Amino acid sequence: MRPRFHPADLLGIQVRPARLWTQSLGWVLFVAGIALYAHLSYVRHKENPYDRVAPTVHQLYQGMLTSALQPAEEDPPLDPGASLWQHIRYSMLWKDTVASARRFLIAIALLVPCIILGLHMAIFPYFGAVFQRFVLFFDKIVALSLLPILFIVFGIEEWSKIMLMVIGVGPTLVLDTFNIGKSVPREQIVKAFTLKSTNLDVAYRVVLKQVMPQIINSVRLNLKPLALFLFAGEMIASTDGLAYRIAIMRRHMGMDIILPYLLWVALLLFLLDVTLRFANRRLHPWYQSL
Amino acid sequence: MSRVLSGRRRLFRGFLAAVALLAALCPNAAWAGVPTFTVGWSVYAGWNPYYYMYRSGILDYWAHKYGIEIKVQRFDYAASLDAFVAKNIDACTMTNMEALDMPAAAGVDSSVVIIGDYSNGNDAVLVRNDLDLAQLPGRPILLVQKTVSEYLLQRAMELNGLGGQIDRLKLYNTSDSDIVGAFLGDRSNQVAVTWKPLVSEILAQDKGVREVFNSSQIPGEILDLLVIRTDVLNRPDGSGKRFAEAVTAAWYQTMAQLTGTGPDAARAIAGSAAASDDSVSSYENQLQTTYLFRSAQMAVQFTTSATIKQKMNLVREFCFQHGLLGQSVYSPDDVAILYPDGTVQGRKDRVRLRFDDSYMQMAEQGKL
Repeated sequence: MRPRFHPADLLGIQVRPARLWTQSLGWVLFVAGIALYAHLSYVRHKENPYDRVAPTVHQLYQGMLTSALQPAEEDPPLDPGASLWQHIRYSMLWKDTVASARRFLIAIALLVPCIILGLHMAIFPYFGAVFQRFVLFFDKIVALSLLPILFIVFGIEEWSKIMLMVIGVGPTLVLDTFNIGKSVPREQIVKAFTLKSTNLDVAYRVVLKQVMPQIINSVRLNLKPLALFLFAGEMIASTDGLAYRIAIMRRHMGMDIILPYLLWVALLLFLLDVTLRFANRRLHPWYQSL
Repeated sequence: MSRVLSGRRRLFRGFLAAVALLAALCPNAAWAGVPTFTVGWSVYAGWNPYYYMYRSGILDYWAHKYGIEIKVQRFDYAASLDAFVAKNIDACTMTNMEALDMPAAAGVDSSVVIIGDYSNGNDAVLVRNDLDLAQLPGRPILLVQKTVSEYLLQRAMELNGLGGQIDRLKLYNTSDSDIVGAFLGDRSNQVAVTWKPLVSEILAQDKGVREVFNSSQIPGEILDLLVIRTDVLNRPDGSGKRFAEAVTAAWYQTMAQLTGTGPDAARAIAGSAAASDDSVSSYENQLQTTYLFRSAQMAVQFTTSATIKQKMNLVREFCFQHGLLGQSVYSPDDVAILYPDGTVQGRKDRVRLRFDDSYMQMAEQGKL
């Protein structure tokens, strides 16, 4: 029989809350947030029925339907007989998500060379000698301030936005991989050589293999900076994308579209993070931390 | 024990000092109960004088005379509109288009108290390689979408008989902070729509760029206004009216200085140029393409003319067409405009934007 709950338990370290409590307490702040928003929206609409700052739940629902089922303003309208799938396929949300996701995934793919570079810097002394100081310096450059240069080099189309993400996050990832790679005990490397490993065997089959889970975690932590740079790029110059739509809607306070978009972005990032975490656990069941 | 006490005493003294400091920092006016109002402005040739008006003490003089306090705060343009709609500031400078699609469409009843000027060439469509308007469809066009830039572009197409091609324009939403670099940096960008001083910067740095259309070809359509929330104006204690009177009086005194001659004019121009860190020559160049309503009389004449209704009609149709009036608005009439002669454009029960010339009239008749 579990001892009864006592208010002093709230500050205790040695307490073991019941499962029901731990599950439900996690939702309290969500409920409070939603309630607070609903209240704010109600008050504002009572005072001004045309308020746009805090749309009502119904308006948000309408906004979601419009963005998920209707084509964007700049695109031709759909035929009246279009199926639900066609509605979704040609909707504003779909179009923007595809555009943003493409940029995002290309940027992530371009981060792979950064990881390889970091690994080489950690293992091969000459690589480290050449790159370490420069990457350390480059990491401190505020990527956004390079944007005018990126425009000149890569034009204002896709590549300047993708490179903004890569330049913003790449050096951090290189340095992180470098540090993680350095932490592999020297004895293991020596041991591998005594077992007739080649240089590349050591790099890719001994070191990389065991630091991979940590690198994936590092990428997970960098998802948000990536999204931040993507948003900055899309807001500054683009014709489509999730942040483009938010920038356009901001011009006339279309919060009924902006809020669903924000939640959608949060959901996508969350799903990507979960996927990486799940993959990490599946691929590296021996890795215990986190 | 004694150490604890002395610690407490020190804490108490610190607290007293903090209170005294806070009291000293608080504006004395707030204690005396003087109504305080805030005017938000953003950088633009026709609005920079607000900065000079505040700095030179002209505004303070009139505020004092009307027994109120007026603060002037500089914003980025979009942020100033957000602050106005959220009712954080009482008055704000904006164009007629934003007056309609931001506060008015968001249900914040707004009154236009001063019509300061209209853009008479400040906004321009810039092209490379001597393109003409008929060649624009299909080429990427850099501009800040859903602003007067897009309005200007659409009007340019319509006035040149290309209205049917508007759907084929490829608009590239580009932030005004980066449009100069983006356009100049990449020569494959052939078209940009923007405003001064950005237009001047581009033209000065690249001789291959020319203006193919500018706002002097649509005079009176891009108006620069001072808008006050109607509920502020109608405050029961009358302080809102006094606020409008004080600002209007100060504005026309500033205008008289700015457009006059002699050292006063030079000071006003230098003071207004300083508002945006522009050189005097650059600011004078901007003023040449800004049609200032120099006197209250000119402004009243324009506000009471039939022209303004016709121009506003174009603007509200544009706003409606582009969804700027909101998702749930099914006709431009749902955000109605009231004119000084009592006519209403739109539904009479949905008046959200009011052109109120009474303060400009008082200035004209010297009653302020």
